[in-house]
Amino acid sequence: MIPSRLWALVALVALAIVPWVLARHQLSLLTDLLIAGLFAMSLDLIMGYTGMVSFGHAAYFGLGAYASALVLLHFAQPVPVALLAGALLAGAVAVPVGWFSTRATGIYFAMLTLAFAQFLYTVAYKWRDLTGGSDGIAGVPKTPLFWGGPSLASPHAFYFLVATCVVLSLFVCRAVVRSPFGRALQAIRENERRFTSLGRDPRPFKLVVFVIAAVFAGLAGALFAPFRGFASPEVMFWVFSGQGLMMVVMGGIGTLVGPILGAMLFILIQEVLSSYTEHWMIFTGLVFVLMVIFLPGGVVGTARRLGARG
Amino acid sequence: MSILIEQLLNAVALAALLFLVSVGLSLVFGILGVVNFAHGVFYMLGAYLTFTTVALSGNFWLSLIVAPPVVGIIGALLESSTLRFIYRRPPIYQLLLTFGLALMLEEAVRLVYGPTAKPVDPPPMLQGSVALAGIAYPRYRLFLVVLGCTVGVAVWLFLSRTRAGLVIRAVAQNSEMADCLGADVARVRTLVFGAACALAGLGGVAAAPMTTAYLGMGIGVIVDAFVVVVIGGLGSIGGSMAGSLIVGAAQTWGAFYLPETAMVIMYAVMGAILVFRPWGLFGEEE
Repeated sequence: MIPSRLWALVALVALAIVPWVLARHQLSLLTDLLIAGLFAMSLDLIMGYTGMVSFGHAAYFGLGAYASALVLLHFAQPVPVALLAGALLAGAVAVPVGWFSTRATGIYFAMLTLAFAQFLYTVAYKWRDLTGGSDGIAGVPKTPLFWGGPSLASPHAFYFLVATCVVLSLFVCRAVVRSPFGRALQAIRENERRFTSLGRDPRPFKLVVFVIAAVFAGLAGALFAPFRGFASPEVMFWVFSGQGLMMVVMGGIGTLVGPILGAMLFILIQEVLSSYTEHWMIFTGLVFVLMVIFLPGGVVGTARRLGARG
Repeated sequence: MSILIEQLLNAVALAALLFLVSVGLSLVFGILGVVNFAHGVFYMLGAYLTFTTVALSGNFWLSLIVAPPVVGIIGALLESSTLRFIYRRPPIYQLLLTFGLALMLEEAVRLVYGPTAKPVDPPPMLQGSVALAGIAYPRYRLFLVVLGCTVGVAVWLFLSRTRAGLVIRAVAQNSEMADCLGADVARVRTLVFGAACALAGLGGVAAAPMTTAYLGMGIGVIVDAFVVVVIGGLGSIGGSMAGSLIVGAAQTWGAFYLPETAMVIMYAVMGAILVFRPWGLFGEEE
């Protein structure tokens, strides 16, 4: 059994070397994978560690993307300012939504988050003056890291920005789930009734983790907008929320690293299949259904189980 | 005054359509403990099958008889081939599984019918309008109200007055005990799931002449149906009916008085109800 620290070191070295090996479009795909991975990881905080399945997580990704796009386009600030704006807006909107949604549990929570997300999607779609409606916001520039600082316009530079954000976010999220606060979240997941009867109110914990997850989803969205050069309502649509759930389950629920791998797996399957058929969703759906039935632990969960056995 | 009555009638017609969809969603949750994300896709399937039936036979009434059973059989087959194996897992896995099924079905429909919307004409008998309380009211909407009420009463009578309904309620209350007493729980679940899908399909048939059959109609309706059951409470027929009326009213009056922010009203109502009754108007407290 290889210790997890060694795995982490191998992954870091690989992340540093890989861009010099890959072709340009492969590097762009990898950057995409990492952004999706960050999104899926943030979802795992609430889904895997607290047992709250949000069906509207894309809304926070989208809010981050819009905030970032608007800041870059209208105020021409350095990219980190846009990232901050995206994360903050997502977190700010998550406060009232979380306050309502965490009143409900289980399935009701899932339905509520979906309903709020569809509402936010409609706002983005209809508020043409600000968001450009269905066209979205195009021509989002990749401004430098800071004024007079290094340019982020090259694929390599932007890749390293994304990779750094993802690695740092992973460490922060790991610290969160291992803190006393994170232990409380897992206690809520395991047995909310017992948690309540021990004299603790689970709702503040749920609200805080919901907002933290939204902040990281917002960060992912804020990276997405300058990377792709646009923000559009599609990134807030329920389909993307659902794809986030698929990534988490495919990679391994409640493992943080798993969802990042799940995002890679999901997008790679999509890349391969879409070169054969435009109806690739049928097969992705089938793979997902089979994994839910036969491999509920996902890639990481199954690997750990096999590792523990062997 | 006449505008008010017209809006009221429109709200009731919309509510009837919402009820047809949400009652199945609610029953599957109440009896199987599963939130069926694919429910909206079965509604869409009903609408597309209506298009096919009308295109082949030219008879809308035939689709009312043909489409719901076909949708129900597809639903029952999917339940017995996938969902059946994971009832013991936490409810989240069942939601995710039906989400996967929804994606597959939606893409399959796109494969068969292509991306363009398919129009369906209402039957001649239901075209035009009738004079009702001094206003001209479309016949088709009247038909929706009658259909919604009929289905509501039929489902209620079936569950409360027949032996099969008794067994279904027993499975809902305690499936292990029902199993011990000789009920074939697996079969009950498959049949209930299929019946709920058929109801969604019936909703799709009824919706087709109003909305046409188009991709994405499933998700639109499932979000509305979720709001309905959140307001009314999952697992209750009365709750579905009350929730449908509230959502129908919020959407109709919202679209009339505040067209740009109609959605906001629906969610505001839902938010208000959740603050006071997080388990819905007719739902049971957890």
